[in-house]
Amino acid sequence: MEINTTREGNTLTIAVSGRVDTVTAPELEAGLKFGDSSRVVIDLSNVPYMSSAGLRLLLAAHKTMLANGGRMEVANVQSAVREVLDITGFSDILNLV
Amino acid sequence: MTERRSLNLKLVMSVFAAFALSLAFTWLLHDRLSEHDAYALIDRTFENVEDEIIDCVNERLVRQCMAVRERLCEGHPDDTASLQELADEMRVTEISVADNTGEIVASSVPDYLARDGKPAFNFVTAGGKAEDMMCLVNGRETEYCQPFRSNTANGAWRKFVGVWLPAGGFVEIGCDGESLRALSRASIVDLFRNWRVGGTGGIVVTTMSGLVISDYEEPNREGSQWTDPDGTFYWKRREIESFPVYVMIPKSSAAVERDVLVGATAALNGASLVFVALLVGFVISSFVRRQMGEQAAKELKTAKDIQLSALPNVFPPFPDETRFDIWASMETAKEVGGDFYDFCFTSADRVLFLVADVSGKGVPAAMFMMRAKTLIKSAAQTGRPLAQVFEEANEALSDGNASNTFVTVWAGELNIRTGLVSYVNAGHNPPVVRLGGKCEYLKTKPSLVLGAMSGIGYRVGEVQLAPGDAIYLYTDGITEQPNASGELYGDARLLETVSACRGRRAELLDAVLADVSRHAAGVEQEDDRTQLVIRYRGEPDSVVREYAPTMDDLAKASADLAVALGSVPEKFRNQLLVAADEIFANIVRYSGATRWSLSVETTRHPDGVRLVFVDDGKPFDPLAHRDPDTTLSAADREIGGLGILIVKKTMSPVTYKRRNGQNILTMGKDYGN
Repeated sequence: MEINTTREGNTLTIAVSGRVDTVTAPELEAGLKFGDSSRVVIDLSNVPYMSSAGLRLLLAAHKTMLANGGRMEVANVQSAVREVLDITGFSDILNLV
Repeated sequence: MTERRSLNLKLVMSVFAAFALSLAFTWLLHDRLSEHDAYALIDRTFENVEDEIIDCVNERLVRQCMAVRERLCEGHPDDTASLQELADEMRVTEISVADNTGEIVASSVPDYLARDGKPAFNFVTAGGKAEDMMCLVNGRETEYCQPFRSNTANGAWRKFVGVWLPAGGFVEIGCDGESLRALSRASIVDLFRNWRVGGTGGIVVTTMSGLVISDYEEPNREGSQWTDPDGTFYWKRREIESFPVYVMIPKSSAAVERDVLVGATAALNGASLVFVALLVGFVISSFVRRQMGEQAAKELKTAKDIQLSALPNVFPPFPDETRFDIWASMETAKEVGGDFYDFCFTSADRVLFLVADVSGKGVPAAMFMMRAKTLIKSAAQTGRPLAQVFEEANEALSDGNASNTFVTVWAGELNIRTGLVSYVNAGHNPPVVRLGGKCEYLKTKPSLVLGAMSGIGYRVGEVQLAPGDAIYLYTDGITEQPNASGELYGDARLLETVSACRGRRAELLDAVLADVSRHAAGVEQEDDRTQLVIRYRGEPDSVVREYAPTMDDLAKASADLAVALGSVPEKFRNQLLVAADEIFANIVRYSGATRWSLSVETTRHPDGVRLVFVDDGKPFDPLAHRDPDTTLSAADREIGGLGILIVKKTMSPVTYKRRNGQNILTMGKDYGN
């Protein structure tokens, strides 16, 4: 798994590459550090699939941003990931762009 | 049915009898009543008529008497002869003059006068009613009329009328019947011309010799001969003041009231009786029908239930079996038929499957079906060759088969290692085989039906199935379903429908049923529709690997799986990897297993994958798990259970078993046909 973080003003973009599952989730969890950013974009264009281990991380991050008055966006969701988000109802919670 | 009809008939007849009886009674009652009423009316009428006639006659005769008195006062001579002349002139019978003592001093009748020492007639001493005339002397009356009656003196019928003389005494005239009628006839005619009795009845007055004076019915009949009324009248005759008077009421008129009453009663009684009869009939028949219907329906349902419960009805029947799949259905007609299907393993690698149709319908057919099914299955499960199974079953079924019931069967035995099917056709419809994607009827010469006669041998045919090939069995309830114009569904349509359906096997059965129903277009199903389809899938390629319950081994399993699924299309591969990851995590984190394994089985025709997870952890059935609420807001959302939800939503089939202290979870995906 590769995680590339870029900051532009108050916007933090975290681009994830590789599958997100039980094996890789701890790596992603370590990479989801937002600091004082008011806007975070999680770019999933290179994530072929994601299991519930990844959903757990997305939910936790989303709640953290909400609590800090910030906003988290999930971008470029691939079809297999999208299916999982739809099945679990996460599409309604997360800000998908 | 017949019983109910005769019950209805008896009911109707007894109701009709009661109705007729009550009507006859009513009619009789009202007939008597109307006769009684008619005579009462006639009697009442006579009272009036009598008064009227007497008044009329009296008035007329008083006038005549006054005219006589006037003539006498003008100086008409009063000797007998002159008085007789005057009497003739005045059309009266006799004229007499009496003095204040009541003695007749002048008369047209010589017998009344004193002669030859005999004293003159004296009203006072004469006795009888004569003295009544003396009222004219003492000043109480100026005129007096006696009724027409037999004279006491000489027995002749007379009516005497007197008027007083201012000088004293009185003048009396006497009229016989003829005179009376002559004088008062005109008044009488006027009197009765428009007199009606009881609507259409009336009064007829005649002379003593029966000539009509006044006839209410035919006013111009005066003078013609009268005869007594016939039986169509209620009537009475009385003589009043010398006039024979008939009061008549036509019976038809009197009967009008009766007829109206009887008619009304008939209508009312009729209506109420019909209503009651219908009500009672309805209540009884619906009661009987319910009793009989409930009983019959209950028996029918029990028979059907027994029949259906005897058939394997859980699909897929062998969920772990990847080398073949089998689906069957039976749609029963209203009446219990004798169709059945069956399948079972006859050895570790052979599966028997069959469809059968017992001749006849109803409970006897259903019972024969149960016997046939049991005989074939129990013989087959001993592992005996198919031909021998059929021969044994045939001997048993034809032994003592008095009703000559028989059963047609198509049975095949699939070797699930090789795909070879041995089959016997005992007089059944040829099945459809799909070989290499092409469908056709498997037409071979059938053997004799089972149960027809003993000592029959059964030919065994063979057909080789490759993975993906299938055999479709059915009964004639499918092919012989007619539409409204009598056209049967037929072999051609069936072959077309089976060929066209490339979906899952269960969908094929539904597609055929739908097409048959469409063809029937409302025509009732007459026979059971039974179908079975078996598809050979061949031996799977199977890889089994064992792992320890550690995160390292989880990563290893994940990597192994990714390699094993290398040839699977990406979409399905991703789904399988996500689902597998959920199961891995459950086993490693929560199960408490000491070891676990994953086997990956890939199948062909259709292409598909089965993942079998086996662990020795605590019992955990993911399918029994309640789904989490996926509609909660982010803040309320909990993460547990989502993994199982993803597995259930993306994998099909998913099955769970607990066996030998192990959880065995199978999940998979078919991505080709």
